[in-house]
Amino acid sequence: MTARVIDVSELPEGTTDSRALIWWGNLGMMVIEGTMFAMAIATYLYLRTVNIDWPPSTVQPPVLFWPTLDLAILIVSVAPVLWADLAAKREEKTPVLIGLPAAVLAGLVILFCRYRILTNLGYKWSDHAYGSVIWVIFGLHLMHVIAATCECGLVAFYCAVWPVTKKKYLDVRCTAVYWYFVVITWLPFYFIVYIVPWMQRKGPS
Amino acid sequence: MSKQGTPRVAQASSLRPGRGAQAGSLRYTDRAALEKTWAHAPGLLGWLSETDHKKIGLRYIITALCFFTIAGIEAALMRLQLSRPENTLLNPDLYNQIFTMHGTTMMFLFAVPVMEGMAIYFVPLMVGTRNVAFPKLNAFGYFIYLAGGIFLYTMFVLHAGPDAGWFAYVPLSGPQFDPGKRADTWAQMITFTEISALSVAIEISVTAFKQRAVGMSLNRIPLFVWSMIVISFMIIFAMPAVMLDSGFLCLDREVSTHFFNRSEGGDPIFYQHMFWFFGHPEVYIIFIPALGYVSSILTVFTRRKIFGYPVMVASLVFTAFMAFGLWVHHMFATGLPQLGQSFFTAASMMIAIPTGAQIFNWIVTIWTGRLTIRTPVLYVLGWFAVFIIGGLSGIILASVPLDVQVHDTYFVVAHFHYVLIGGALFPLFGAFYFWFPKWTGRMYGEKLGQLSFWLLLIGFNLTFFPMHILGLEGMPRRVYTYQQGLGWGPLNATASIGAGIIALSVLTTVINFFVNARSGAFAGANPWNADTLEWSVSSPPPPYNYVYPPVVSGPNALWDAAPDQPYVVGLRTDKREVLVTQVLDAQPSHREELPGHSLAPFLLAIATTIGLAGSIFFAWWFPIGLGLVGLVMIYWFWPRKEDVIDHLVEEQREILREEPAV
Repeated sequence: MTARVIDVSELPEGTTDSRALIWWGNLGMMVIEGTMFAMAIATYLYLRTVNIDWPPSTVQPPVLFWPTLDLAILIVSVAPVLWADLAAKREEKTPVLIGLPAAVLAGLVILFCRYRILTNLGYKWSDHAYGSVIWVIFGLHLMHVIAATCECGLVAFYCAVWPVTKKKYLDVRCTAVYWYFVVITWLPFYFIVYIVPWMQRKGPS
Repeated sequence: MSKQGTPRVAQASSLRPGRGAQAGSLRYTDRAALEKTWAHAPGLLGWLSETDHKKIGLRYIITALCFFTIAGIEAALMRLQLSRPENTLLNPDLYNQIFTMHGTTMMFLFAVPVMEGMAIYFVPLMVGTRNVAFPKLNAFGYFIYLAGGIFLYTMFVLHAGPDAGWFAYVPLSGPQFDPGKRADTWAQMITFTEISALSVAIEISVTAFKQRAVGMSLNRIPLFVWSMIVISFMIIFAMPAVMLDSGFLCLDREVSTHFFNRSEGGDPIFYQHMFWFFGHPEVYIIFIPALGYVSSILTVFTRRKIFGYPVMVASLVFTAFMAFGLWVHHMFATGLPQLGQSFFTAASMMIAIPTGAQIFNWIVTIWTGRLTIRTPVLYVLGWFAVFIIGGLSGIILASVPLDVQVHDTYFVVAHFHYVLIGGALFPLFGAFYFWFPKWTGRMYGEKLGQLSFWLLLIGFNLTFFPMHILGLEGMPRRVYTYQQGLGWGPLNATASIGAGIIALSVLTTVINFFVNARSGAFAGANPWNADTLEWSVSSPPPPYNYVYPPVVSGPNALWDAAPDQPYVVGLRTDKREVLVTQVLDAQPSHREELPGHSLAPFLLAIATTIGLAGSIFFAWWFPIGLGLVGLVMIYWFWPRKEDVIDHLVEEQREILREEPAV
């Protein structure tokens, strides 16, 4: 060959896998938000070290029904999202149009659970530092649940109304990864908010 | 090694369109088509929807310099006030606001954004791609930064400027001691600037890892780009801490949470931990880019490769890691356990090791190279001297007994101005002179440039060296005046005169740039015979950067290029396409289309601003803002007509291709 060139015209235009730029950008956003969550946990642990009465003795150990239902739905919701995710990688439309709306449904149920939990928590953010940090943890994660639910709904809407381009399949995959992130980050919070108070329960007062 | 870069591009552009094409139907890179595809949009709407990284980068730099000027005026006011004992130019309340605004502006609205601006402008050029990975996010980052700055100064003019120092310690900034909106203004401004910084961090790290020129494996990345990669990672891990911290402060003030309220189980010291967990890395986020500029400038003006490239990269990474492990040395006066103090003293001293390794490598580079003295080099040499003095007083401050002695005195003020102005501003100005020809296509005035350096060096030392002595004599920082009999008058007067000389230096630079941007000698593509890729394209670079993306065969891309260095063909010219390469060895992976103009980033910034600025007056503005953000997001991701048509055409083609077989 006379001209020393590297011809890239045969390379694919866009991908739906982890080589894509937006996949990495999405990952970066999750690292940022993950750091934020880690800092929230650090706040909890720090405040715990400076308080002898933690959780404050006025706080009743939490009732586990709604929170555990909430956790179960979160975990189960991974299945349809994973299904849509894998289908999007193969650029297949139908599972996307079922999986993502299923996630939206799960998101709505989770929001209802959270509503039940928060209205029955028994303390407010302004009662004590424990209340502040628990409410902030709820608030932070709740914003993520809302964002992820809206994202699933929006992407599903685009996919249902317009022909689904490769870019949109990639969006589906990023949305799915984000959903896993939202599910995984709740696990340590569930432990802190619900299990720790039972572990630390003091004798009957 | 001389002019290999320039002819290579000339050779590339004289290439007939379509040459090298094997598959006939595909369109090949062609300058005219690229001009059309990557054209800037005209008018105000075009300005608001611009996504070219060079435009956005320059906007960051110019806006940051405006804030630098404002913060400089604030510094001048403080120096005037302190120039003699019992002066009455500023009253105590205004003085509190002025020093807080000065620190806040310099750290959050100047130092970090200006480094980000440099990264946004140069990283895509240096890695040989056409735009950053997320151009719309990039535009959004700029607007939200601008909004944060405007917000801060609007509040300042309305007499609600923050007044509790640039780190706004509780309880002074808490609801009890700082009623009104002053501390809220500060806390919310943090959110604005951190959103901006985080956006930049994401796009720079992805651009540098995924869009590098073919052949630019990790061990061939320019040190400038490495420094920007390192600060991007630092931003990603440091900024969330301060966002949460300032968020907690806002919540404590607005909705009565108790994070920092000791009587309800909170802890004011925790505020400091969170703040400095961000705040210390922040110093390195400002300082590490400067190391990149120094390496770039020294490589070019010593005419040799940087000595010890792997050690340089390792030092940058090591510094970044260490930076997260010594925040407590800002808190030695808070009564921490002794073991903790010893640990953080040792950690603070250890950070001298990677910096020392780099400085010795630069010395070897200068020693074994042929150093030409030009303005950028003078700034770098000045940096050596000033920064080393700052580093030495840093080692002194790392020792707890000494730190406790001079805590909150002018000794500390002297130290951090030596490391920040010395460590970051000198190289930054050197970098401005160095890349001025690339930005404008013209040369700066050499004599005036050298004059500006000497004025800065003299003015700077005159201002800040006496502060060491003032601090040792016991003058506390952040006092609006001092008594006659204390004997601090002469040294303060000297410092004030020095501040005037600094202002003069900046003025000469500004005049130099303004005049020569229009009437300076033509610079051409590569006036310095420099080694990095940005010098292979015209000055200023065209909107698409490269007609044919380059291929790299060494760490000094242009110097290591063969006379018939290969280049990349086959990117589409009717779309804003870039080549994505593999992370480690930068082999071609696939092509990807980047978005063009869009108004969505501007609208998103407006929506975010409504939510953030409104929420300090009325908490419900926050969810309202979130709702607006959601609406803009729908627009942001709305499928484009071209994409859909493209997709349908492609589908049709597939069918036609398959039909004969059926």
